[in-house]
Amino acid sequence: MTFPSPFELFGALVDSRAWPALRLVLYACFLLCAGAILWQILARHRAGLGRGQAGHPWWLPSLPLLGLVLLFAAVLGYQASWQLTGVFRPEFVAFMQSHDRRDFNPAHLIQRGRILDRAGEILAFSDEQLGQVFRLYPYGPAFAHAVGYSNPRFGATGAEAAANTRLNGGSVDNLAAWSELGRHLLTQNKRLRGQDLVLNLDTRLQLTALQGLGSRRGAVVALRPRDGAILVLASAPAFDPNEMGPDLFQGGNPATPLLNRATQGLYPPGSTFKVVLAAMAIEAGFSGTLHCPADGFTTSRRYPKIRDHEFYTAGRRWAGHGDLDLTTALAESSNVFFAQLGVRLGHDALFAAAERLGFDRKVRLYPGTDRAGTMSTGRIPRLAKSDQYGLAQASIGQGRVLATPAHMALITAAVANGGLAMRPRLLADEPPTPLAPYMAPATSTRLTKMMRKVVTSGTGKGIDVPGLAIAGKTGTAENPRGDAHSWFIGFAPAEDPGLAVAVLVEHGGYGSAAAAPIARDVLVQAKELGLIR
Amino acid sequence: MSTPSSAQDLSRTWSLRRPERHLLAWCLLCVTLGFTLILASMQAEGRDLTAADLAPLLGYWLSVIGVHLFLVAIRFHGDQVLVAAVAFLAGFGLLAQYRLGAFTGPDVGPFDPWLFPAGVLAMLGTTAAFMGGRYRALAAGPWVWAGASLLLVAVLLFTGQRFRGGVYALGFTTPTEVLKVSVVIVLAGFFARHAQALSQWDRWLHVPFPPWRPLWPLAAFWAALAALLAVQRDLGMIAMLSVTLLVMLVAGTRHLGYLAYGLLGAAGLGYLLLAVFEHGQRRLQAWQDPFADPTGDGWQILQGLSGMYSGGLWGEGFGQGSPGYTPIAGSDFVYSVVGEELGFVGCVVLILFFLIVFARGIRIAEHAHNQVGMLLATGLTAVMATQTFLNIGGVTKFVPLTGITLPFISHGGTSLVTAFAALGLLLAVSDTAAANPRLAARPTPSARAKGTPKPKTQTGSRRKRTPRPRVDDGDGETG
Repeated sequence: MTFPSPFELFGALVDSRAWPALRLVLYACFLLCAGAILWQILARHRAGLGRGQAGHPWWLPSLPLLGLVLLFAAVLGYQASWQLTGVFRPEFVAFMQSHDRRDFNPAHLIQRGRILDRAGEILAFSDEQLGQVFRLYPYGPAFAHAVGYSNPRFGATGAEAAANTRLNGGSVDNLAAWSELGRHLLTQNKRLRGQDLVLNLDTRLQLTALQGLGSRRGAVVALRPRDGAILVLASAPAFDPNEMGPDLFQGGNPATPLLNRATQGLYPPGSTFKVVLAAMAIEAGFSGTLHCPADGFTTSRRYPKIRDHEFYTAGRRWAGHGDLDLTTALAESSNVFFAQLGVRLGHDALFAAAERLGFDRKVRLYPGTDRAGTMSTGRIPRLAKSDQYGLAQASIGQGRVLATPAHMALITAAVANGGLAMRPRLLADEPPTPLAPYMAPATSTRLTKMMRKVVTSGTGKGIDVPGLAIAGKTGTAENPRGDAHSWFIGFAPAEDPGLAVAVLVEHGGYGSAAAAPIARDVLVQAKELGLIR
Repeated sequence: MSTPSSAQDLSRTWSLRRPERHLLAWCLLCVTLGFTLILASMQAEGRDLTAADLAPLLGYWLSVIGVHLFLVAIRFHGDQVLVAAVAFLAGFGLLAQYRLGAFTGPDVGPFDPWLFPAGVLAMLGTTAAFMGGRYRALAAGPWVWAGASLLLVAVLLFTGQRFRGGVYALGFTTPTEVLKVSVVIVLAGFFARHAQALSQWDRWLHVPFPPWRPLWPLAAFWAALAALLAVQRDLGMIAMLSVTLLVMLVAGTRHLGYLAYGLLGAAGLGYLLLAVFEHGQRRLQAWQDPFADPTGDGWQILQGLSGMYSGGLWGEGFGQGSPGYTPIAGSDFVYSVVGEELGFVGCVVLILFFLIVFARGIRIAEHAHNQVGMLLATGLTAVMATQTFLNIGGVTKFVPLTGITLPFISHGGTSLVTAFAALGLLLAVSDTAAANPRLAARPTPSARAKGTPKPKTQTGSRRKRTPRPRVDDGDGETG
């Protein structure tokens, strides 16, 4: 008979069920032991000083030591700000969630708050399965860009990134959050719960917009002119944030599903830009007519003529528009008229308008965020004074003028809101704030009537529906990559605008054919849902 | 070595050092507990334990017992708390290194298991050699030490190899660590001679100005040393030694004006070095905003902080963390491993023990019997405190990373042995036998007169204490 070796006995003890508790006891003993040593040293120090001179308190260290104590106390305090309350450093938590491979890191176990739409529909939530926390998105690709994703391997984007601190429970701005923090600090509970986030998005409208886009590439943005609430922020194609893989990021996919076309996609705005020209003309006091020959208009013989689309569709027999006033020219979307108008208004007027309408900027969609939560506005590069043809091209939204769908929606909303653009916002609890006055109230009133006429009798008459006064503007933007991009911007009802929409369908052809029906569907459904009157 | 004396002295020392024995026993218990927990975690990971796994613990026990017996045998009458505090720190370091696989694993060097005993031997050798006031012999020839220091750095510069931005000698040892002791000896010798002249300031246009004549040899030495170290990109060492210079200058002359000029100079020099060295700029940037490049320059510091965040208040427990994810966890980032496995509480304990070591160092300086002893103790403590602060501050992102080790805890041969040797010297200074005619070899009266005890008794000693001219266990108690 052989006795087990001490190591076997030790192994049996470690494998036994009592070990976890025993381990904690031994660990406590270790700390107590260290504490005992410290206590004895301190007691000796005290006794030693007690026999020294009177008047010097035993606990007060000498000046150089006091300096060292304070210095190291400062280090420990700073260390605690990372080690114990690191959750208040959103970048740190994001780093750990994406780059720390320690399974027991509490950052991985944070139950991020849910993301809800304006009706309380769940767009994102965290679920714990087998000790691991997963982030799930019930609507899959539908909100892939607006809500974004939070993934341990790929980081975070969209609302998930912009409101990371709140979702992780790192912003303590109410009593519940404070008590949650206290619980976390005292118990070292690893299951930290974050705060829920309510967005202004409307799931039903968003799905309608995406249904309208179908398999085509494009973007739909809808916001409330009155307060800037974003109800639709759709970009297609998208990806499924529930099932992400590294191949998504490898590039080379011509469909670029990662690109948020709504806020970052820069497209020539085409005829929708004529709304901007019309506003400029009204503010410059333009009245009267311009002659628009069927043959077109150019600034120099060296350049091809800018012509109206009827020149190509109606054939040789088309006699041209003749003398056009602003209202009719906008309704008929006459390139010849607006090219002449732009040249007549001049370079300076265009750049003043670009400045006023906030081109070449980033507008934040969340309070206090950095690059994660912004939209890009369009681009109008400064042209040389002598470049009259470039100016004519820019005046019809071609050439070097570019805009994002979100920016066109913002301009449309400004027209619908008496000229004042409200800051677009995704968070429901962010108070509405004005962004900038894009045009004078009188201008917007007149422009509204003109845009209404586009739908009643102009290029957009195909989407005129009884019972809902839609005002808008179609756009057909030539581009070098294929068929024209199809645009529509508009709002309804014209007399009391409740929702402004911008729709872009890549290579969709005529604005009236592809984009306008999607905008109509969104507006009509908004009326059915009672979102507009 | 001490001269043979009667058995009565031996038994007297034995009873005198009873508190040390007591504290060391607690240290042994504490480290054994930690060691058991680490062994258990290794067992739980599925490793078969053998008797060889117990070797580090056995080595620690033998070292601690050996240190105590040796100190008694040489009738050492110096600081007892310092021995115990460092024994705890060294045990703590041993646990950390053992846990990080410094003794078992594929890339263990042939000398690695012997580093700790070698350090202990270095400490005991230094103590025995310089106790009883013999340390004053060190201060006799400061320029020999200065020349040797410069030569060492210069030779290393020509023969060493570059790795991770620093220069290393054969076998990845860092001989520049020796500067932590040798430069202190240079400064102690220099200030002991010239303290009087250095404390007489001139005035120039009503602005107080330090005396240039006695100061220039030191300035020249410092310029040469800093230049050589700067070429090696050892900015941490420059910072550490410069702080020490300043502290010793102020302590030696009792003239706060040096502090003002020194801070000005340090700011200027720091700016200059940062302007020249891209290496330093990148570290500064990684310190200010590690999130600008989280997977590049900021990776190391952020991984260390992530580990500490995982540890939280109480830590994951011995052997339960994953320090493998922190780059160079064994040497520079060992503090973050402590934070991960023992939590914030463990870090506080560690820092308290370091503070005790510094407190004892300051006390030894205050109670030193002569100027050289005071300067040596001040300098050695300043080096240790600065080193600890720069390491811990760097790991916790309090200050920029300087790439220097944590004394007694970090893995690193030369660093560990030098830290022990410095401690040995500090203990030698603390030995009160110098003032005791009955014990140990006495210095000649002329040697005693050389060391000027002036600042202790007359000038602005902050705590007006006069050293007791009787047998003292270095603690204000007779046991």
